[in-house]
Amino acid sequence: MTFALLLLIPLAASGLTAISRERRAMEAIHLLSALGGFAAAVLLAGEVLSRGTTSCWSGFLYADSLSALVVLLGSFVYLACAPYAIGYFRTDEANQVFGTEENPHEHLAKLRKYFTLTPLFAFSMSLVAVAGNLGVMWVAVEGTTLASIFLVTFYGRPTSLEAAWKYAMIAGVGLSMALFGTILVYYAAQHSTGGESLSALNWAVLVGGAARFDRTVTRLAFILVLLGYGAKAGIAPMHTWKPDAYSEAPVPVAALMAVSVLNCALYALARFYVLTVNCLGPAFPSQLLILFGLLSIGIAAPFILVQRNYRRLLAYSSIDQGGIMVLGLGFGGVLGPLGMLLHMTFHSVTKPLLFFCAGNAQQQTGNDSLKKTAGGLLHALPVSAPMFLMATLAITGTPPFSMFQSEFTVMRAGFAGQHEGMAILFVALLVAIFAGFFYHIAQLVLGPASGPPQRETCRWKTYPVVALSVLVVVMGFWLPAPVYALVEGAARIVTSTPAVHP
Amino acid sequence: MYFWQDPQFGDRMITLMAAFVLVLQITMVAQRWLITNIRAFAVQSLLLAGIANTVAYFNHAPHIYAAAALTLVLKAILLPVFLRRLVARIEIRQEIEPLVNVPLSVIISGLLTMLAYVVAEPLRAASGPGDSAALGHNTLPVAIALFLIGFFMMVSRRKALTQVLALLSLENGLFLAAISLTYGMPLIIELGIFFDVLVAVMILAILVYRIRETFDSMDVSRLSRLKG
Repeated sequence: MTFALLLLIPLAASGLTAISRERRAMEAIHLLSALGGFAAAVLLAGEVLSRGTTSCWSGFLYADSLSALVVLLGSFVYLACAPYAIGYFRTDEANQVFGTEENPHEHLAKLRKYFTLTPLFAFSMSLVAVAGNLGVMWVAVEGTTLASIFLVTFYGRPTSLEAAWKYAMIAGVGLSMALFGTILVYYAAQHSTGGESLSALNWAVLVGGAARFDRTVTRLAFILVLLGYGAKAGIAPMHTWKPDAYSEAPVPVAALMAVSVLNCALYALARFYVLTVNCLGPAFPSQLLILFGLLSIGIAAPFILVQRNYRRLLAYSSIDQGGIMVLGLGFGGVLGPLGMLLHMTFHSVTKPLLFFCAGNAQQQTGNDSLKKTAGGLLHALPVSAPMFLMATLAITGTPPFSMFQSEFTVMRAGFAGQHEGMAILFVALLVAIFAGFFYHIAQLVLGPASGPPQRETCRWKTYPVVALSVLVVVMGFWLPAPVYALVEGAARIVTSTPAVHP
Repeated sequence: MYFWQDPQFGDRMITLMAAFVLVLQITMVAQRWLITNIRAFAVQSLLLAGIANTVAYFNHAPHIYAAAALTLVLKAILLPVFLRRLVARIEIRQEIEPLVNVPLSVIISGLLTMLAYVVAEPLRAASGPGDSAALGHNTLPVAIALFLIGFFMMVSRRKALTQVLALLSLENGLFLAAISLTYGMPLIIELGIFFDVLVAVMILAILVYRIRETFDSMDVSRLSRLKG
C-alpha cells in the first residue's frame, strides 16, 4: 500500500500536468504531489522502523532501513524544490528568459516540460531505492538519467546541449558497465542460488548466498559496478559531466540531481559493496573505494580554489561530497558506513539550500560568474546572501554545523581502520576546500553595496531558503531520534559482515 | 537424431555466429561510410538474435526466444531504419572522420580482442570443469571484446551519430554476455533493459538532431565551450 502510494503519486502528477492547460493548475499539482510523496516516504520509514523490512509482490518491491533512508531524503529534496521551482520559473518568465511575452504557449510548453519530467525523475528515484531486484534497480537508475537529460537541455542554449550530450554519453557508458557488473553478479550467484527465475537477482536472496559466490567473477563485477555507478555518482575520474550539467540545468533540477542522483548511485554501490564484502572480505573493495574517494576529493580541491563561476563551484563541491561518502564506505568498520550515511543525510539538507541561494543570486545579477559580480550581494539579497554564506560554512564542515560531525566520523573510521595516512590527507584536502570555497563566497556576498539596498519580494523563492536554513541550524544540534534510528539501521545493513568467512 | 538436434552442432553454430559478430565489429571500426556502419550494426544484431535462438532451442528456455525476437525487431530492423532516416534527414556528410587512422584502429581492435581473451580466461575456469563445455560459454571473450572495441570506437570518433552507434554496439556486447553467461537474465529485466535502450537511443537521436541544428555540424569536438 505504501509502496503503491510512493510510486503512483509522482506518476499521476506527471500524467495530470501533461494534460493540464493552466499554469496554476500545474503548480498546484506539483506541490500536492511533492507533499504526498513525502508523506508516503515518511509512512514507509515508519513501517520499516517498526517492522525491520517490508516487501510486496513476492519481493519485487523491498524496503529496509537503507532504502527507506534514501527514499526519505530524495522525497525531502523534491518537496523542498517544489515551491522554489514555482518562484524560480515565475522570475525566469518575468526576466523574459523564455523569450518575450508574445508567445504564452511556448512558455507553457517549457513549464510543462519541467512539471511532467521532474515527477518522472522522482518516480525513478524512489524505484531505485525500493526495487528488490538488482536488475530492476539498474533499469530505474537508467530511468533517472533519461528523465533528467531533457531537464538539462531546458534552456536550449548551445552550452546546455553540450552539457546534456556529455551527461548522456558518460552516464550511458557508465550504466552499461554497471549492467555488465549486474550480469556478472547474476552469473557468480547462479551456482549458489541456482534458479533462473526472476527472484535470482533479488537482494534478499543474493545477500544470503553471497559467501558462496564465485570469487573471481565477483571481483570483476565489483570493479565494473564501481566504475559504472561511480560515473553516475560523478566520482573522479568520471566526474567531468557534473560541473557542466549542474551549471546549465535550471536550479531546482540541479539541486535534485546533486542530491538524488548522487544518493541513488551511492545506494546502488553500497548494495554491491555488501555483496562483495560478504564474498571476498572487506580488504579488496575498501582499497578501491578509498582510492576513488580520495581522488574525487583531491580533484575537487584545486578546481574549487581557482573557480570563476559559482554554479560550477557547487558542482565541484558535490564531487567532493560524493568522494567523502565513498571514502567513508571504503574506511569501513562500524564507523565508516555510519559516517557515510550521516553525511548523506546532512548533505541532502544543506546542498539544496546552497543551490537555492546560488539561484537567487544568479537571477538577481543575471550571471553566475564570480568575477563579474563585484561583491556586495548582501545589500541586494538581504535574505539569501547571508544564508548563502552560512550554507557555505555548513557544507565545508565548520564545527557548529552537522556536516562536521559526519566528516569527523569518517575521519575516525579512517584512524580506526588503520588508514592513518589516508585520513590525514583527507583532512588536509578538506581544509583546502574550505579555504577556497569560503574565500569565493565571502568575496561574492560581503563588500560595499553596488546599488541602493533592495528587498527580496518573491516569497516562493525566500521561504524555502529560510525553512532550509532553520533546518540546517537545528540539525547541527539535534537530529530527531527516528531519523537517527533509520541512519543507524541503514549503517548496520552496510556493515553486516558474515559470521563465517571462507 | 537429426544433425541439427546435436548440441555439438549448436555449439559450433554459436561459435561461428559469434566469430562473425566480432568480424562485423572490427568492420565497423575499419570502414568509413556511415550507412555501411549502420548496416553492419543491423547484421550484427541479426546474428545476435540467431545466437539467442540457438541457445533457447538447445537449452529449452522459451523466455530467451522472447529476447531473440525483441533483438530482431528492435535492433536489427527498427533502429537501423530509424538511424538511416535520421542520416537522410539531417543531410550530414556520410564519411566518418576518426581521430585515429584506420590501420592503427584495426591493430588496436586486435589488441583489445586479445585483452578480452586474457580477461575472460579466469572466468571460464571459474565456471567449473563440468560447466565449461556448456553451450555458448566460449562466447564470453567475444562479448568482452565487443564491449572494449565499442568503448574504443566511442572515444575515437567525433561525430555524434557515430558515437551513438558505438554505444549501441557496446550494448550488443552486453547482450551477448547476458545470453552466453546466464542463458538470458530473467525476462522482466530483459524487457526493462530493451525498453531503456530504445528510449535512450530516441533521446540521443533527438539530441543529435538538435546539436545539428544549433552548431550546424555534428562534430562533438566543437562541444568544448564549457571548461574548468
